[in-house]
Amino acid sequence: MSAQADTAAARRSGRRRGARIGSGLASYAGFVPAIVLLGLCFLVPLGIIVCYSFWETIDYEVVHHWTFSNYTYFFSVSAYVSTMWATLWVAVVATARYVPQRLRVPLLVLVIVPFWTSYLLRVYSWLTILGDQGVLNRFLQWAGITNHPLGVFLYDRPAVILVLVYLYFPFGALTLYSSIDRFDWNQLRAAMDLGASPAQAIFRILVPQIKPGIITAIIFVFIPILGEYLTPQIVGGTGGVMIGNLIVNFFQEAEYTRGAAVSLLIAGFIVVLLLIFRKSLSAKEAYGA
Amino acid sequence: MAHDVEVLSGRARFVRALLSGYAVLIYVFLFAPIFLLVLFSFNANRYGTFPITGWTFKWYRAALSDYQVHDAVSTTIKVALQVTLISMVVGTAAAFPLVRSRLPGREGIRIILILPIMIPGLLIGVSLLVLFTSTFHWTLSPETAVIGQAVYTTPFVILLVAARLQGFDAALERAAADLGANSFQRLRRVVLPLIFPAILAGGLFAFTLSLDEFIITFFLIGGHNTLPIYIYTQIKFGITPEVNAVATMLLAGSLLLLALAFVLPQLFRKARRAGARLRAAS
Repeated sequence: MSAQADTAAARRSGRRRGARIGSGLASYAGFVPAIVLLGLCFLVPLGIIVCYSFWETIDYEVVHHWTFSNYTYFFSVSAYVSTMWATLWVAVVATARYVPQRLRVPLLVLVIVPFWTSYLLRVYSWLTILGDQGVLNRFLQWAGITNHPLGVFLYDRPAVILVLVYLYFPFGALTLYSSIDRFDWNQLRAAMDLGASPAQAIFRILVPQIKPGIITAIIFVFIPILGEYLTPQIVGGTGGVMIGNLIVNFFQEAEYTRGAAVSLLIAGFIVVLLLIFRKSLSAKEAYGA
Repeated sequence: MAHDVEVLSGRARFVRALLSGYAVLIYVFLFAPIFLLVLFSFNANRYGTFPITGWTFKWYRAALSDYQVHDAVSTTIKVALQVTLISMVVGTAAAFPLVRSRLPGREGIRIILILPIMIPGLLIGVSLLVLFTSTFHWTLSPETAVIGQAVYTTPFVILLVAARLQGFDAALERAAADLGANSFQRLRRVVLPLIFPAILAGGLFAFTLSLDEFIITFFLIGGHNTLPIYIYTQIKFGITPEVNAVATMLLAGSLLLLALAFVLPQLFRKARRAGARLRAAS
């Protein structure tokens, strides 16, 4: 790893010294379209959202009056706060569900394929399983366990968690796969030859070595789940509402500043998450170097 | 890792069987929902569920003759084409300085360029909605959705093209320079052909992402429908086999594109090599 990086770096600097032909002003120019697109349409709007979250909406008009009221409002409504905790909880559970699971993914492509089928369709497809007319209810009725469709499978938090695990499994599995793939399994056997129990061998030899992969997987799964809107909307009902739904509701009711404040809360969580794991992430580089 | 199979105790074999069983379950979990969706789109049962009362194409016929579906399909494709074009051009242009120049803040720029992938699409959608409607006072249209999607797809193209540029043998370009090629000629004749597979793959990638994109489009497209938005509005009224048929077609479309994204660059390379051999032979 380190040797590769070194030679790559050497090659790159060599190239730069040897063929600095394309560099200079011309090379800066390449950034211009990207800066226009991503700066104007990504960073600027984010900045506006930050401002909005500290402004007020009066009679559906945004008033440039600095205030914390959007935040205090959010935290004053217990339903919102409980939704926030629920979102975190859902995200934690859905993230935790798969992390220890996959130690080996034999048919990698098969894991990637559902990842590339439409996100909406993957949520929707669960309706055909969990719904009133869904496969599960059909089966129970056919088996004579119940004579009317049960509504318990849908429109609550467990359904949301189930679908989120399903949606983000490929993310987690792929990130973990790439780090587990590099692991030398003989080390486990060596540990057990030296008297470690299988559990000891796994937790003291395997887990520390794939820890960067585990952390990357957590980040890649946790962040999109924080912003999840569609899944709770389709399978969540009133019991499964998440922050994303609140944001959309605020914006649809033209409560822009409140919506902006809630959006920033998500962004805040992401920053906190990245800060918590920053050490581990840079440790990954240290490990690689 | 197949080599470590032979020296296993009975217990290890048991664990292995357990893991394989587990893997099978995971695959069932991953594929069953999609499989059922496709299955029900061919089922004559009009509730879109079991039992299977016969095989039929009538839901496909119904879906294909629905003008709303036509509308949604043409908007989806138009949006996807524009998104693809923008992200290919912008992404490729940005990949060059990212890999080659020695800008002082290069690492920071890299992070900003990749950030749209990292943050939830919901935030991109919401913030652009505010920018377009309250700051610019634009009317929402498929074009505003194009901009939003391009923000999200361009970083993927940047990553793909930058990876290709990184692994690119600089000696080729130096050789071309030694042989008297000016910088435009080097770009046109040496660099672009070599990184073209990555640009193409990035474009197909962007196209597929755009086809399926929901949340950003949902905020920015106003009164229009793309296929995912159309399906979403239909789901609100319950599952119908027509929606299953539309869904299956969308599925087939994106899988086909994905296959193309993997196969085309290879074919392209092969064709190029074959062409070079032919030229060398003649």
